[in-house]
Amino acid sequence: MNSPTAAPADPSGPLAAAPAARSTRSGPHRAGRRIRRQLPSSPWLFAAPGLLVVGVFSLYPFVSTVVNSFTDRRTLVPGHYVGLANFRELWHDDMFWTGLRNSTLYVLGVVPALVVLPLLLALLVQRHIPGIAFFRAAFYTPVVASIVVVGLIWVWMLDDRGLINSVLEAVGVGKVGFLSDQWLLLCSAMAVTVWKGLGYYMIIYLAALANVPRELHEAAAVDGAGAVRRFFTVTVPALRSTMVLVAALSSVSAFKVFSEVYLMAGPSGGPAGEDTTLVMLVQRVGTGLTGRVGYASAISVVVFVVTVALMLLVLRADRREDA
Amino acid sequence: MRISRRAFAAAAVLATVLPLSACSSDSDSGSSDASGKVEGKITFQTWNLQANFKDYFNGVIADFQKKYPGTEVKWVDRPAEGYADKISADAAGGTLPDVVNVSPDLVAPLAKAGLALDLDKAAADYRKEYLPGAWQSHQIPGMQGTYAFPWYLNTGPLFYNKRLFGDAGLDAAKPPKTYDEVFADGLAMARKSNGKIATFANVPTIEDFGRYGVESMNKSGDGFAFNDAKGVELLTKYKELYDAKALDPQALTATPESAGHKFLTESVSMNPGSALDLANFKKQAPTLYKNIGITDQITSTGKANMYVMGVMVNSKTKQKPAAVAFAHFVTDATRQMEFAKKVAIFPSTAGSLDDPYFTKEDGTDETRVRIAAAKSLKTAVNYTPVLFSEQMKTALRNEVAKALQGKQSPKEALDNAVKACDQLLKQS
Repeated sequence: MNSPTAAPADPSGPLAAAPAARSTRSGPHRAGRRIRRQLPSSPWLFAAPGLLVVGVFSLYPFVSTVVNSFTDRRTLVPGHYVGLANFRELWHDDMFWTGLRNSTLYVLGVVPALVVLPLLLALLVQRHIPGIAFFRAAFYTPVVASIVVVGLIWVWMLDDRGLINSVLEAVGVGKVGFLSDQWLLLCSAMAVTVWKGLGYYMIIYLAALANVPRELHEAAAVDGAGAVRRFFTVTVPALRSTMVLVAALSSVSAFKVFSEVYLMAGPSGGPAGEDTTLVMLVQRVGTGLTGRVGYASAISVVVFVVTVALMLLVLRADRREDA
Repeated sequence: MRISRRAFAAAAVLATVLPLSACSSDSDSGSSDASGKVEGKITFQTWNLQANFKDYFNGVIADFQKKYPGTEVKWVDRPAEGYADKISADAAGGTLPDVVNVSPDLVAPLAKAGLALDLDKAAADYRKEYLPGAWQSHQIPGMQGTYAFPWYLNTGPLFYNKRLFGDAGLDAAKPPKTYDEVFADGLAMARKSNGKIATFANVPTIEDFGRYGVESMNKSGDGFAFNDAKGVELLTKYKELYDAKALDPQALTATPESAGHKFLTESVSMNPGSALDLANFKKQAPTLYKNIGITDQITSTGKANMYVMGVMVNSKTKQKPAAVAFAHFVTDATRQMEFAKKVAIFPSTAGSLDDPYFTKEDGTDETRVRIAAAKSLKTAVNYTPVLFSEQMKTALRNEVAKALQGKQSPKEALDNAVKACDQLLKQS
């Protein structure tokens, strides 16, 4: 252990010790201190590229959206400050409430399925049996597939004359209006979201399952617990924080759903626009040459507030469980 | 710590000030004077034309550059999907190309924002070269001037599926000629097929109201008027079709593309089309092509609907003489005639439709459709008002859907649609 105080005691004498002592003094610790002294802003220089990206692509658009929400800005016309007028208009806009209802229903429909089903899938594919890698890859494939391609395939399958309706007709059930009934359309879009997200959350659960101590399962088995009981008393408690993470991630993305509903319900948002979600409304109102950027920004601010509230709700529920 | 506070403050100020700065930009409309030497580098943007017409446009550009030495035209082509959004982004960002392929509904907001050059001032001499109706199609109610050169026109017949007509017990040799016959045939087809054969795949659009004889806008052009008695009558008839399952079950969410796909897959018996469609049927749906029936567009006005494409000059271009000269060059009679012989479109230049190519039969279906379309274009009207934006189309579609579902009466639906469109017009 070299230290400045030990240097004079070096048997090779002061002349020999001097460089050693100098070398010790100019070690990494002191060198860092000197760099700090010479370049006090060096940490900021290192962080600058990252901060620049965050500033330009996240912070600026975010602040810009908030500022625009208080203006009557349109795509080609600079706006003027209008105070809370956009938010007051939201309050009286039926389509906004339709969007809020559908986005909320989407969270309620999709999140429980995406918390539970990928866990069951992960339990199935975590076993080391021949050929299991194929199933893991198969379940993950929808995640990497383009949402547009996936959406179109499901539209063809759920079409009035598509594969699913042909089968239903053949077995005597008759045609089901998956793409023409307001509620069935929303449920169909939810099913596609769940189907596409299963693999992604399955991977998260697989990683978490690998960390569940095997001894716990063995001890529970010795105590006579069956597979179902071990699942509820060992696996679920061990994966609780992962389930919270999945719930948080899936609720945020479900509330912001756009592609699935847009592709399946069309640009008008389903029959009479009844399947419009909030993000679809942002797109419809705010884009194009006559887009109302100010009003669309106000809707975006509401989406942001609700998303943050959802996250806080999930985290609060997790903390309450911990207490 | 001091640095972090300073940095944070700077970032916060920047993030607040930059967006605010966007609120205070002005919209200088620029001068309309396009006189001067034709020279310099310009950019020309087209709407999904490169894939099929690369050689044609390269030839046009080469000819222009040869005619005007010292000019250079850079051609960019954008996909059909999201074209309006691309123009919006360019216009908002100040990067709009010098010469842009547009439709009338895209010109209107650009002209209002002072980004489209007034050709009545900058290129008045060229006006007489075009059909009067085509030239007027880029005039904006409430504004003086014309904001794009008319380019190619299109219209088309009503296609019907002879096999489906026969299956429903109707005479395929006698397609409907009037609205009453269309509705009667649609109801009969649905009844005889137990609701399995629908007539149309979409709900009525603003064009359909126009074709039915409904005035879309009021005389002064500052409000919509399609909620009159005739409009209500049309929607009431569509409601009868919907209740009888003579409209496809997915009609309420259909787009023109999905409706075309339904006709292509023989799910519905009729679909309005353009002269471009026949070649498409032949290639993509040979079975349908064998059974295709062609009849005239059904109108109560005697005037067919036409689609107009235009070429706009950016009023902020630094090369105004070259941009105007090129926009005119692309849309002049020679170039339009050449283009029309490559694809089923129709020139908007005066006299071009009298060319033997548009008047002489050769016994083929393609020529028959082309001649009929060219004839109807002489009196055709663009029934979609230039001020009718995408948001307005959605508002109308959604209110119409509510009426068809029985959630409100046709009168209430159209009143609500007019109210919503008027509101959007005021905000635009």
